[in-house]
This record gives sequence, structure tokens and C-alpha cells, in this order.
Amino acid sequence: MTISTALNRAHHQLLKTDPSIIVLGEDIVGGAGLDGKELGGVFGVTAGLAARFGKDRIIDTPISETAFVGMAVGAAMTGLKPIVEVMFCDFIGVCFDQISNQAAKTRYLSNDKIDMSLVIRTTMGAGDGSGAMHSQSLHGMLAGVPGLIVVCPSTPADAAGLLKAAVASPHPVVMLEHKGLYEDEAAVDDTLPAVQIGKGRNVREGDDVTVVAISAMEKVCEKAVEQLATRGIGVDLIDPRTVQPLDMETIFASLEKTGRLLVVDEGPLFGGFADQVISAAVTGGHHLLRTAPQKLTPPQSPVPYGRLLEADWLLDAGKVINKIDEMLYQG
Amino acid sequence: MKQLLDLYAKASFIRAFELHIAVASEAGHVPGLVHLCSGAELVEVAVCSMLSGPKDQVTGSHRSHGIALAMGADPVAVAAEILGRVGGLSKARGGTQHLIAPESGFLASNGIVGAQVPLAAGAALTAKTKGTEGIAVTFFGDGAANQGAVLETMNLAVALELPLLFVLENNGLGQSTSASYASGDADLLVRAESFGLKTAAVDGYDGEGALKVAAELVEFVRSTGRPAFIEASVPRLSGHYFGEKADYLAHHLADDPLTDLAEKLDTEACSAVRAEAEKAAQDAVTEALNMAEACPAPSSGATL
Repeated sequence: MTISTALNRAHHQLLKTDPSIIVLGEDIVGGAGLDGKELGGVFGVTAGLAARFGKDRIIDTPISETAFVGMAVGAAMTGLKPIVEVMFCDFIGVCFDQISNQAAKTRYLSNDKIDMSLVIRTTMGAGDGSGAMHSQSLHGMLAGVPGLIVVCPSTPADAAGLLKAAVASPHPVVMLEHKGLYEDEAAVDDTLPAVQIGKGRNVREGDDVTVVAISAMEKVCEKAVEQLATRGIGVDLIDPRTVQPLDMETIFASLEKTGRLLVVDEGPLFGGFADQVISAAVTGGHHLLRTAPQKLTPPQSPVPYGRLLEADWLLDAGKVINKIDEMLYQG
Repeated sequence: MKQLLDLYAKASFIRAFELHIAVASEAGHVPGLVHLCSGAELVEVAVCSMLSGPKDQVTGSHRSHGIALAMGADPVAVAAEILGRVGGLSKARGGTQHLIAPESGFLASNGIVGAQVPLAAGAALTAKTKGTEGIAVTFFGDGAANQGAVLETMNLAVALELPLLFVLENNGLGQSTSASYASGDADLLVRAESFGLKTAAVDGYDGEGALKVAAELVEFVRSTGRPAFIEASVPRLSGHYFGEKADYLAHHLADDPLTDLAEKLDTEACSAVRAEAEKAAQDAVTEALNMAEACPAPSSGATL
């Protein structure tokens, strides 16, 4: 099953079970005000929902991110459980007050009287020629806002399972889905069980170096790990799945084995997810580290458009292998 | 006359509350700045008296003490929250700009100008989705009238047919900037009309008129499920924040709507009842504030 299908099925299951769940966003039904066939969202995640659950619960909005994200926050404050789609995470800037001040702070400011069962689904990632304003990876920035939970699934099971956990959470959750992974296939349990927020996954076991990566970078690292294995290099690959709260326990357990840390991330070179993992590893696990922890990210520049420029900007298995070789060569 | 006396009594309660908060602020008992609603009471009470929380939900700006009280939030808890005490609505996590009392129908006030407006659209969506027959009301000032969040929500409420009443309290000043300057002299009621909203104007000195318009528009929103918009002209009697000392304030003096209403009630031969209501309101406020002042402040780390 693909990530897109797993997410679609999870939506169907959730909406069927809980009448307080609503789904809203731009073009998630598609063709509003026209007589055409439903679009089902740009990536097909919301296909067939309106036909089954009605347009009172599956709501196409005008292009007004501030208003509809804010409306979803208010709906969550009054007892609904909205799943909101913000088409690209690049658009978060347009509605950042409603996310960072309203969604993130309301439960705290109410002294936990008000639950914020709000899920914001959005997309992230470069690699499809979408240009600088449809390609960013803003999970690190979002995770820096106290009150927000941030998750970045890399598999169909995690996408569906984290969505279910997010809907059940009393805290607001932003889920960033990588555009390049929607058609990735993997086996899943038909019931699509919830995945615990804040719990990482050990993707591959190895003793030489710990590699931490989420979302599409986890997939890139899997390829690198396979090639390194043919040369007898063992990588312990960890997919934290949740950016905030971060599962440092799993990372420390791995560092006990390897003593070396590499974080591979599509977020920014400065002040991003990679920096935060390294900071937490050093401050809490300095005694476990045999060498200086390293990070591999794209350069600190907007995502370029031209095919070769974008390919240069992106990370791939080759760059990961080079970095790991460099680390092992240096000690 | 009974309705007008009630309006006066509730407005007097809010005025006395704000005056007590001002005293507490001057005495250094309030952690930050307070934005008092003195001057806007008649409009706020008139609109809220047409509502019934928690079925109906209201959001407001940073200047929302009066609206929370008008919706029936516990005055001791409101005062304690403003004073930063454990007896507060949120045990001092929120404060004056973050009053949250959804059990009374006061969903939340807000520290970001205009941000409370989309939140009310959410309360309206919940009422619509769950079929509660409740409505949502959002109060905001002329300073918020040009915020994207407000303008977007005016459109969204029309597009999605939400039971939402917008109440623009135009006091002529966004902090120290005049409303006419900030809006390029545009007529904000006409602007709202152009979004497709049913609109009405209220004179903040006319209690009777405020009750009438509030009743009409609340009934319209409730019965049609569609949004409407009130522009109320109100004075701002105590500065942007209490204690503000700035030159521009001298150019913006205004009469007190409560004095006007008291005179009207007195000429209609109920001066004794009116004075009694005012005294009762003041006594109730004194008692509430004393109780709030008696609450301890949270100890360090208690709310984390």
C-alpha cells in the first residue's frame, strides 16, 4: 500500500468512527461550486471522503489559510476534531500566528481546560521541480514552537498510524508528509494501528555509526546503508518519526553501541532539526560519543528550480556514504 | 424600562470592576499592562444579553474584561486571573489578555490583534456541524479591522454560511493611530456589506438602540445560520492601556455613555432604583475584588 492510500484509508476509518472529526482545506474535495467530479486533494489523500461523509464534514475552503486554520483552532476549542490540510508547508508563513500563537498556546493558557485536538497535515520536501516556495522542509522551525507536536512519517504504516495518534492527542499536531514519498509502497497491517507519538524506530541495526534521519532522508539513508553493508560497514539507522517530542532514549541506546552520530536532514543547515539532535546528543550523551557528531543537510540557500541545480542542492545516498566514510576515516 | 435598568446595572458592574483593576494596577498588583473597556460597556452588555453560554460562544480582543463578565464569567476568577493569582480562570497562566471561560460562553480573549476573529468562526462551525442552534460572536476594534485574519474571516463566514456575528467596536483609535487614517477614511460598515454580510450600526451612547440592534442581528444569525456585522461607535475612556500618558489622548476626550444613560433613567423617574442598582453593582465588585486579592500568587514552578 502507498502512503497516499494508507492516509486515505486512515481518514475513512477515523471519520467513520468519530462524528466529531471534520476535514478541511483547499481543494480537498475539489471543484467546489462546479459540477465536475471530485478531485480528492492534490495528492489523492482525501479522495472519496466527501462522497461518503458529506460536504458538511469534508469542507473545501477559500484560499485563506489564516481564516481556515484559525477556524479549525476555534472548532477544536469547542469540541470538534479538525484535520486541516495546508497544501504545502511553505504556506505556513501565511497562517503562522494561528499556528504558533493560537493552536500552540491555547491548551496551556486555559490551564489544560481546553483540549486542542487539531491536526494540521501539510507537505514538505524538494525534488520535484516545485521551486523555492513549494519545496521547503520546515519541521525544525515548527518543532521550535512550544506547544506543538511535529511528526514526519516515512512509511505508509507510520503515516496512517501517526495520523490516528494525532487525532487522539489533546495537543495540536503538525504532520509533514514528504511529496516524494506519497507513492512509496510498503506492507501495512489492514487495521492501520496508531503509532505512538514520541517513539522512534530502529530501521537498520549496525555497530559502526548511528544515523538519524526522518521522512524522505530516512529513505535516502536506507539506500546508503545497504551499499555500506556490502563493504562491511554497519549503520544503526534510526527514524525518530516524531520531531517534537524527540525520542532521545532510542538515539542514546544506539550511541552506546556506535559512539558516532550523523544526522541527515532536508531542513536548514542553521538552526534546524539536525542541530537540535546534535545538541541533545552532546548535552545529554557526551560520554557516549567517540568522535564529534556530524550533520548532513542541503546548503543554507533557498531550494533552486533548475533540474541540475536542485539535484545538487538535494542530498542523495552518495553524499551520505561520503560523509560516513569521512567520519570513519577520521576515527 | 426594566431591560434598560438591567443594562445599566450590568454596565455599572463592569465599570466598577475596571476601576478596581485600575486601582490594583496603580498599586502594583497587576503583573503587566491592563487594557480597560471603560466606555464600551453598553454595547458589550447589550450584545451579550442576547446570548446564552455555553451554547453561544464569544471571542474578544486584548480589551475583554467586560465581555467575559457580560457573558457571566465568575468575576472573582476573572479578577484573580488579571492579578495573576491561583484563583484565576487559568491559575495565572494566561492573564489579562488571555481570559478563557468557555463554560460561560466566553471562549477566549487574545493577545494578537484580530486573531480572535477566526477562532469564533470555529465556534460557529462547531455549532453548525453539531446542530446546537448556538451562534458565535466576535468582538474586535477598529485597530483589527484592517487585519487579514479579520477580513479573511468575513469572507469565510459568508462562503461557508457560518452563524457568526462580527461586532466591530470602533473607538476611533488603534492604539494611538486614528481609525480614519488607518482605513483611508473608508466606511467600515460599507466594507462589511461588500463582503455580503448583513450589517447594522449602533451608537454606543444609545443603550436602547444597542439592545434593539443586538436583538435583531443575533436573531438573524440564529434563525438563518448566516453571518452578520455590527459596527458600534464607542468611546475609549481610559487610554490604550491604563496609566497611559500621551499627548494624543488630550485630543480624544469623550463623554461617558453610562452618565448619559443614568440621566435618561433618572428623568424617567426611576432614579432611586437606578442608584440602588449602581450601589449593588459596586458592592458586588468590591466583594469580588477582595476575594481575588486574597488569593495567593502561584509559587514558582507551580504552573509549568
